Amino acid sequence: MALTAEELCSYSDNVNEQLARYGVKFGIYKNGEFHEQLFPFDVIPRVISHDEFAYLERGLKQRVSALNEFLRDIYSRRRIIADGVVAEEFVYSGSGYLVPCDGVSPPGGIYSHISGIDLVQGRDGSWYVLEDNLRIPSGASYPLIARELCRRTIPDAFTGRALEDNSNYAELLRRTMDHVNTGGHPVILTPGRFNAAYFEHSYLAEQTGARLVTCDDLVVENDRLYFTDYSGRKEQVGAVYRRISDEYLDPVNFCSESLIGVPHIFDIYRKGNVAIINAPGNGAADDKGIYYFVPKMIRYYLHEEPILHNAPTYLPYYEQDMSYVLANFDRLVLKDVAEAGGYGVVFGSKLSHEQKEEFIRMMKAEPRRFIAQEVIDFQDIDIYEDGVRVPRKADLRAFVLMSDEAAVWKCGLTRFSRNPDSFIVNSSQGGGFKDTWVMSE
Amino acid sequence: MAILSLGNSERLFWLGRYSERVFTGIKFLLARPSWNGSCFDENNSESVHFSLMRAYDNAIVLRDEIGSDTFSYVQLAVYEMKNASRSRTPLVGLQKVNDNIAAFWGMADDSISDEHVRGIIKLGKRVERVDLYARNNADSEDIRREIHRLIYRIAKTGLHYDGARLSALNALAGGESINRPEVVREVESLINFSGT
Amino acid sequence: MTTLRFSYHMRLNFELPVREHHFKLRCFPSSDDRQRISYERVEIYPVHFRTEERDSFGNMCIYGTARQIHDHFTVDVEGTAETDINAKLRAEPHKTGLFKYDTALTKAGESIREFHLSLDPMNWMTEYERAVYMMNELYEEFTYTPGVTGIMTTAEEAFSMRHGVCQDYAHIFLALCRLERIPCRYVAGMIPGEGATHAWAEVLDGEAWRPVDPTHNRVCDDTYIKISCGRDAQDCAINQGVFYGGGKQTQEVRVIVKRKR
Repeated sequence: MALTAEELCSYSDNVNEQLARYGVKFGIYKNGEFHEQLFPFDVIPRVISHDEFAYLERGLKQRVSALNEFLRDIYSRRRIIADGVVAEEFVYSGSGYLVPCDGVSPPGGIYSHISGIDLVQGRDGSWYVLEDNLRIPSGASYPLIARELCRRTIPDAFTGRALEDNSNYAELLRRTMDHVNTGGHPVILTPGRFNAAYFEHSYLAEQTGARLVTCDDLVVENDRLYFTDYSGRKEQVGAVYRRISDEYLDPVNFCSESLIGVPHIFDIYRKGNVAIINAPGNGAADDKGIYYFVPKMIRYYLHEEPILHNAPTYLPYYEQDMSYVLANFDRLVLKDVAEAGGYGVVFGSKLSHEQKEEFIRMMKAEPRRFIAQEVIDFQDIDIYEDGVRVPRKADLRAFVLMSDEAAVWKCGLTRFSRNPDSFIVNSSQGGGFKDTWVMSE
Repeated sequence: MAILSLGNSERLFWLGRYSERVFTGIKFLLARPSWNGSCFDENNSESVHFSLMRAYDNAIVLRDEIGSDTFSYVQLAVYEMKNASRSRTPLVGLQKVNDNIAAFWGMADDSISDEHVRGIIKLGKRVERVDLYARNNADSEDIRREIHRLIYRIAKTGLHYDGARLSALNALAGGESINRPEVVREVESLINFSGT
Repeated sequence: MTTLRFSYHMRLNFELPVREHHFKLRCFPSSDDRQRISYERVEIYPVHFRTEERDSFGNMCIYGTARQIHDHFTVDVEGTAETDINAKLRAEPHKTGLFKYDTALTKAGESIREFHLSLDPMNWMTEYERAVYMMNELYEEFTYTPGVTGIMTTAEEAFSMRHGVCQDYAHIFLALCRLERIPCRYVAGMIPGEGATHAWAEVLDGEAWRPVDPTHNRVCDDTYIKISCGRDAQDCAINQGVFYGGGKQTQEVRVIVKRKR
């Protein structure tokens, strides 16, 4: 007999206790000090019907395929620029475009091995893509372990439910790593314990059987990458699922002030001697400015109509859009393309007269820096707080893993804002998470 | 044979040592309850709380070596330590910390499939025990027994150790009366992680 | 056809011993439409392993690691270059757009923008002619002065001082061209005489890159040997590296280029 939502909520503390037991945490810096925090879990799952998810799945695969084509294109022939579909300025002056990646063909032709696509559902039930994360999208580990612990804590909640199993994430991830492995061990490269997502790094290593390593464990010699074990033996590494950003990957090639990174790893990657997951330079495709062009990419590369919608977006860079943004400023949300993690987001209606003038002045000086979007009326999702159910804003990060074919993980990270007035769901800003149930029939 | 980095081999060793330092530290507290609460001072390197946090520091970066289940007992010990420090019956609380340390060892032994990973934690534990017993004037018989358990353990780890010091320890254990400061000196320099 | 002999010598001296020295060198001219290079000597010391590659601009690089402890690091390159002033340096069309946009080192600020506004090119000029016109004007405005700028000085900083060296001339020139979205790139290379490396620029003219030398206010002739090109000096860094230890370091560079008769 399945439980009612109320009955489910009464187990909230028990599940959170289990999460605490396994150290399901994320790190956060406050006043320059590192703290580990539990990631608040809400027991009421987001439920997505079988048909609805099948629709999302088609749309997500389509979108990620087009983004992957785009990355391949802008680092080689650049047809999409020559054909005038994407304005070249958005490609070349975005901070994510890495010139040293030009002319590199990554193993298997795959750039975005693991994509985290952030979606929201509007009140009318339609889904919108808010953001593509093609660099180091994190979060899959949380619903992965939460499901297991919920099953242990509240087995009744699952009885009689036709629910897709989500425990195959590690398998999908391992397959993704193995598919592009150039020969040798797979590893997960973490910046270390004081990274926000360290739990995830260590948990995914445990679950996939890939070795968790830090930069110091790896060394390049004679154009190959090696891991040195404690007896001094060198083992070749063929696939690196790196959880450190491009600029810290290789101090010789990128940020020479830092001693973080693996010297020359980028050089041997260019030669095809190691797979780096996700590929360096992916930032060129998940820029907030490039987002605007994704539906165009889908039409251009795949000759298909986009299945998933973007939130209606305007680029002040184009004159026509600039006039629209100025005329409708108060009902738009404005985003600085260089910022992430919920920062640099401004609601037109919340600015004072002076702030608005100042913002418009900045936007006119550097139109390339901003995008404007219609505010989507999110469908709220109930959470359980202080003994009652209350509606909150939530999004869904869906994970697409690319190996011989694209696979959408039949789950996802549902993040919610704990603040009733906020649209910002990021964990770094105090949000919590839910499991995402995809029904199997 | 699994591949294990030098850094992780050292962390495993210290995880073993610190977990033992907590366990035996609490055992001493329970046996001789002269109580002043200083054992909860996280910043005092002599306290069991301090030792537990160092065990935790090592365990948290070893999740993929030891497994989430094994790790969880160290995490639980940390929560129990916090509870104990706030409890009306702190010694009973500390006993719960030790329940978790014991469970951690049991789970490590049971669920870690790589014998070197398992062996290094145990070696750390043995080294620490000899060290603690010698420092705390334990019975000669107890020290002798712990030295022998250590010697038995060491070859199974694949770690580099100082053979001369091991022989010296063996000789010390065989002597009529045990020179405790010598034992401490030898055991402390037995393992060297500076590389191969 | 002109034949030039070149030698490039670099020595890094470290105040304190260095180990685990990972380097990437970009001081090897390569053959293209305008120059044919043959090497007689490429020596790097000390070195544990080294290997070659071409970066995304097509520049030849040698990278590797010197593990053992050392207090100096030397590079010696010698060879000949046959240059052809009449040959066109063909541009790959899909690789020119990138060179229209700023980098941190070539971003125009107030002072460059102001100068740019004061210029008055003829409206019949092609992009290339406008670039040459701007080079002439820059030459009048700027004074060659060693020692006031460094390798990390931006175009804007140098221009607001009105003093600098070849790298600064090239960066300011690039900043001016990029204000007009004229594709242009930075070139590191060697010219006859004895001294350091030189820097100039290439401007896209139709389907070819045309080398110009803002420091000397002239179009490059057949005595210029190109080592590398990129968006700015950083893309052409001759020596990139990380290592442990070292303390203060000093660098000696000696370039000799002579006409071979």
